[in-house]
Amino acid sequence: MAMELSDANLQTLTEYLKKTLDPDPAIRRPAEKFLESVEGNQNYPLLLLTLLEKSQDNVIKVCASVTFKNYIKRNWRIVEDEPNKICEADRVAIKANIVHLMLSSPEQIQKQLSDAISIIGREDFPQKWPDLLTEMVNRFQSGDFHVINGVLRTAHSLFKRYRHEFKSNELWTEIKLVLDAFALPLTNLFKATIELCSTHANDASALRILFSSLILISKLFYSLNFQDLPEFFEDNMETWMNNFHTLLTLDNKLLQTDDEEEAGLLELLKSQICDNAALYAQKYDEEFQRYLPRFVTAIWNLLVTTGQEVKYDLLVSNAIQFLASVCERPHYKNLFEDQNTLTSICEKVIVPNMEFRAADEEAFEDNSEEYIRRDLEGSDIDTRRRAACDLVRGLCKFFEGPVTGIFSGYVNSMLQEYAKNPSVNWKHKDAAIYLVTSLASKAQTQKHGITQANELVNLTEFFVSHILPDLKSANVNEFPVLKADGIKYIMIFRNQVPKEHLLVSIPLLINHLQAESIVVHTYAAHALERLFTMRGPNNATLFTATEIAPFVEILLTNLFKALTLPGSSENEYIMKAIMRSFSLLQEAIIPYIPTLITQLTQKLLAVSKNPSKPHFNHYMFEAICLSIRITCKANPAAVVNFEEALFLVFTEILQNDVQEFIPYVFQVMSLLLETHKNDIPSSYMALFPHLLQPVLWERTGNIPALVRLLQAFLERGSNTIASAAADKIPGLLGVFQKLIASKANDHQGFYLLNSIIEHMPPESVDQYRKQIFILLFQRLQNSKTTKFIKSFLVFINLYCIKYGALALQEIFDGIQPKMFGMVLEKIIIPEIQKVSGYVEKKICAVGITKLLTECPPMMDTEYTKLWTPLLQSLIGLFELPEDDTIPDEEHFIDIEDTPGYQTAFSQLAFAGKKEHDPVGQMVNNPKVHLAQSLHKLSTACPGRVPSMVSTSLNAEALQYLQGYLQEASVTLL
Amino acid sequence: MLTGAPEGRLRKFKYRGKDTAMRRQQRIAVSLELRKAKKDEQALKRRNITPLSPDPASEQQTKVVINLTLQEIINGVNASDPDLCFQATQAARKMLSRERNPPLKLIIEAGLIPRLVEFLKSSLHPCLQFEAAWALTNIASGTSEQTRAVVEGGAIQPLVELLSSPHMTVCEQAVWALGNIAGDGPEFRDIVISSNVIPQLRALISSTTPITFLRNITWTLSNLCRNKNPYPCERAVKQMLPVLSRLLQHQDSEVLSDACWALSYLTDGCNDRIGQVVDIGVLPRLVELMTSSELNVLTPSLRTVGNIVTGTDHQTQVAIDAGMLSVLPQLLMHPKSSIQKEAAWALSNVAAGPCQHIQQLIACGMLPPLVALLKNGEFKVQKEAVWTVANFTTGGTVDQLIQLVRSGVLEPLVNLLTIQDPKIVLIILDIISFILQAADVLSEKENLCLLIEELGLDRIEALQLHENRQVARTALNIIENHFCEEEENGVMLPALDQDPEFLKRLTKKD
Repeated sequence: MAMELSDANLQTLTEYLKKTLDPDPAIRRPAEKFLESVEGNQNYPLLLLTLLEKSQDNVIKVCASVTFKNYIKRNWRIVEDEPNKICEADRVAIKANIVHLMLSSPEQIQKQLSDAISIIGREDFPQKWPDLLTEMVNRFQSGDFHVINGVLRTAHSLFKRYRHEFKSNELWTEIKLVLDAFALPLTNLFKATIELCSTHANDASALRILFSSLILISKLFYSLNFQDLPEFFEDNMETWMNNFHTLLTLDNKLLQTDDEEEAGLLELLKSQICDNAALYAQKYDEEFQRYLPRFVTAIWNLLVTTGQEVKYDLLVSNAIQFLASVCERPHYKNLFEDQNTLTSICEKVIVPNMEFRAADEEAFEDNSEEYIRRDLEGSDIDTRRRAACDLVRGLCKFFEGPVTGIFSGYVNSMLQEYAKNPSVNWKHKDAAIYLVTSLASKAQTQKHGITQANELVNLTEFFVSHILPDLKSANVNEFPVLKADGIKYIMIFRNQVPKEHLLVSIPLLINHLQAESIVVHTYAAHALERLFTMRGPNNATLFTATEIAPFVEILLTNLFKALTLPGSSENEYIMKAIMRSFSLLQEAIIPYIPTLITQLTQKLLAVSKNPSKPHFNHYMFEAICLSIRITCKANPAAVVNFEEALFLVFTEILQNDVQEFIPYVFQVMSLLLETHKNDIPSSYMALFPHLLQPVLWERTGNIPALVRLLQAFLERGSNTIASAAADKIPGLLGVFQKLIASKANDHQGFYLLNSIIEHMPPESVDQYRKQIFILLFQRLQNSKTTKFIKSFLVFINLYCIKYGALALQEIFDGIQPKMFGMVLEKIIIPEIQKVSGYVEKKICAVGITKLLTECPPMMDTEYTKLWTPLLQSLIGLFELPEDDTIPDEEHFIDIEDTPGYQTAFSQLAFAGKKEHDPVGQMVNNPKVHLAQSLHKLSTACPGRVPSMVSTSLNAEALQYLQGYLQEASVTLL
Repeated sequence: MLTGAPEGRLRKFKYRGKDTAMRRQQRIAVSLELRKAKKDEQALKRRNITPLSPDPASEQQTKVVINLTLQEIINGVNASDPDLCFQATQAARKMLSRERNPPLKLIIEAGLIPRLVEFLKSSLHPCLQFEAAWALTNIASGTSEQTRAVVEGGAIQPLVELLSSPHMTVCEQAVWALGNIAGDGPEFRDIVISSNVIPQLRALISSTTPITFLRNITWTLSNLCRNKNPYPCERAVKQMLPVLSRLLQHQDSEVLSDACWALSYLTDGCNDRIGQVVDIGVLPRLVELMTSSELNVLTPSLRTVGNIVTGTDHQTQVAIDAGMLSVLPQLLMHPKSSIQKEAAWALSNVAAGPCQHIQQLIACGMLPPLVALLKNGEFKVQKEAVWTVANFTTGGTVDQLIQLVRSGVLEPLVNLLTIQDPKIVLIILDIISFILQAADVLSEKENLCLLIEELGLDRIEALQLHENRQVARTALNIIENHFCEEEENGVMLPALDQDPEFLKRLTKKD
């Protein structure tokens, strides 16, 4: 269907776009849905492009450009087996216009279009977009730096993937093509731009544009040189490196910014040059060697002269990282080994960059989330402190003694300074702790690595004399930074500090859950969570529930209270600590459950209005599951109480279609339903028809949870379904049919099918059986994958166990004569070795045993010739290692390749299903079971079995078989 | 019950179903290069350049003819007087032999080639033949197009005939010219071969052949072995192998160098090709040459042996028996990084073999230098060393794995996780994951996890955010499978806080 490129349509589109910006979800969501519903129409993208070019309203222009980019992101890629979502004419028109449009748009829109170009380029460039490169290179000559920067930005977004993709012929062919067309013009542009910089040295606005170009050019340099050192750049290394070196040492007052936070153009350019130099030093050492000492000097000078402001952070950290990577190379050792140099590096580079700065203090107080992420989760990769630590590590490689000596002195003097006047000098202690931490982690490596430990610090002693006192102080709100440092010290060295000291810290940590500082109470929660997961001997938790028992009440109280502290209402660390405490304490929490579950459901209700913290939500649902499990393990009847408490909120979540929570709700419901011992309650049955609605199944994230829930329904209520909801069986099979058609979800389809076969009364599915098999065969023919085959094998063997071997043979041959033989020969015998999983293998073993011993056609038709090969493959299944080879073409089939990955399924560990064994106690030892069954068969037709076995079974298999017979104490007659 | 011995399970892991042969092949297939051609490779074509300071006698002559303009040369070459022809040809040759900017293009465009080819046939004037052959040699040393002009001018057949010229200088120049033509590529190489040149070259070799001549012959032979797609035909190879084997016994380093290069070309291919070289019994001598102090001998002999160990287990065994593993440690420590790289590459292919080979590799003390290279080698060397470890881990026994870990391999591997090369990072992650699985079977996992944590688990954690999905996913799997807390009931907790997609969404402000 096509939408006309008419004013009326432009008007409509404008209105809906406007609505998508509305803060009220009641207005926003329908508008988003509407746009999604029309985006498949021809001309839709062209309407958006028209709007972003011609609309009078700037907001609409930007909105159209973002919508356009997202549309391209979702639809441009042509996925195999799926319809092409953008018609060819639109594709051609977009490619013909977008570069020009991008270059003539204001920057905000240019960025969106540039992103869109790179998405399109990822799919179409170079084959399906051959003129793109020439079109771009030609613009270099335009002399208009607005245009040139647009081109450079686009080139950067197209080429930056060279930085992370694997070498392949396809990739390198593309890079070669790009180099041929692009390297020389880029080099010329680089030189010309630098010249222009000196002609315009006094023109600030011109300089800003030119420096933006230089930054982009330097980024392109990095991408183009990433995979290997191209011939062109080796030949022109002189030009590039000399200019990089000059730029590194360049300063121009006009480019300095007043802003303390945001990096200026000079800083951005220099840090990119540091990256470029580091890349060359790391990968192309031989060719780069003669330039390297000059860069070391320049970067070293840069570090000594650069200030503490935040805007220099990236530059400083990149510069330090460069030094760190160079100083551990043996042939550059000489550049650092002088004692003065070392002292100077420690004093002027490392120590200043480890200091707690005003900006850190600000972040600690006002932007604690960011602070925690940087400090705790190791996303501090670009921070100065992290870089300084890495430099310490690097220097210790060759100069451990001198470096340790220099720093020991520092630590002591800083602690002394602190002791003199804590309230003024607390930052000194912070730096001392940081220095100890960075040096000590190094020492650990040494200890377990090869030689001696770094004796600088006795970790336990430091803990007792410098960390514990801070945490014991009565005022939890005093010196919050040092409190956080102390708690972090416990976390980091929890494996080194003896248990008795840790046990002492636990009540102190619980106490700090009340601290006002977000960082402090978050760290306290996190530390507790970490301590509770520690393992002692025998893999049991290091701390037992008994050891924690004295603190249970205060622990739980403080944890939930912490959630009421300002800024922490959805604090994921606290929620995780709650979950972990439940898990450690087990029955000890039962007395508190009524309060706990009330608090949790209230929280759930509150956050479901606008779920924004995925981790928090996840742990909250885990905590709910734990409450249910722990309570119902002791008292199954209590399940009703949970249903009472939860169903109201659940209903609201389902009715409001809170997408993020629906998979969780289904998982919790599965857990509740499985806890019921008797027949399925009617409240659940009322929900059953709704679960089959196609719309629910369209969201990938729902599928595993829904399948799980349907399985629970089948397990507990198959009879009820057969009697009271038989008209829903086709719907159920419809779900199966939909799932089975998808490579990503077919295994889920099999889970469902297996539950149907296992639990539904046979007569209720009789009429559908043949159709099920036909569907499976169609999928086998159309797109056979290893995963499908494995599931298929488990299914047919389960069917054989449930309905009998003869029934299996008959259903195959009923579809097409001799089909059964083909399945044996082409699928079961050659592929059975691929089946994985204990239960899966057991099902297959028992199923095949049935085929061998309870299927008359196997004994006296043309199928008889397959009897021994089948037995042979069964013995293989018992004895040989699993065949986990995957054909090359399947390597890249992955769940994540399916569209809609963004709504990924989050499995709740504590809603976990126990592994279900449909064979169960019926067969304990499948090998013995095989022996017994063969024996029984041989009594029915004496003489035949031994002769079949001895004539064509291979010697090794025969030996194994004799072992089974012996184990079962039977013989073949 | 249903699983085999731990050993069997481990070996099954391999490179996700890729067998030894494939792991080896992976190491040799380089079809596309972004880099400059390597400097230490053998010359494809060579120009015969007049020395800058010729002796006084010839200087006299030079002065006479140097004044000839291109037009005069054209006239002279096309004259009927043999003397004029000679003078003009010599002048042309001298122009073509200038150190800088020889006018190859001009001479071709002047249409001189057909005349020069004609002169090759004037057996009454060996001096003219010599000058013409020299001029053609230098034209053929140019671009492919220029070589083609010589071939299309019909030069090959008369040049081959000159191989039986009674005048040695003429003969030698013809050998050189043919070498340049053959060096251009498989097409011309095969034309030269099919002109029956090999038996004639063979006939030129005797104990009295002057050394410079012998060098030329060897070099030309090496060009006849050179290039694949297609390789030189089986028959030609069979003819050349005994000659090369004989040349390999020579003492002159240039002869040895080119003979080794020839063998390196012949072994750069499928196992059948390698087999032919192995079968003539040259391996002990090649291994001996790997200890040469001459870089131009060491490089190609090492390359050849390196090629041979990409072959079958048996072929590799022959190389091991010839003593290659006792020579490799010193080459791994060679001052030149290109030798280190080549040696590490050879080692990686031995490590791709059965565990007996790996055992010999350990016995020859290869682990310490390997670890040293991982620590301090240049990146291109580290890369090969990583491959070696990867092959070792997938093919070694549990005991061998233990020795590998004890040799301290993990520390440099973890350090290398920050290298700007996603493929190498991925391989290291695979190695770590594999070693962890092995440790699990031996109930040593806890210690190993501790070790890795201390070496820098944060690097693996950071890789979960890598732009390359496969890298991110592998890192995630390692963290999930080996570094996540296990609950009492055996349920793994979600490593949610490390989900790469997740964090990206959280941090992206778009």
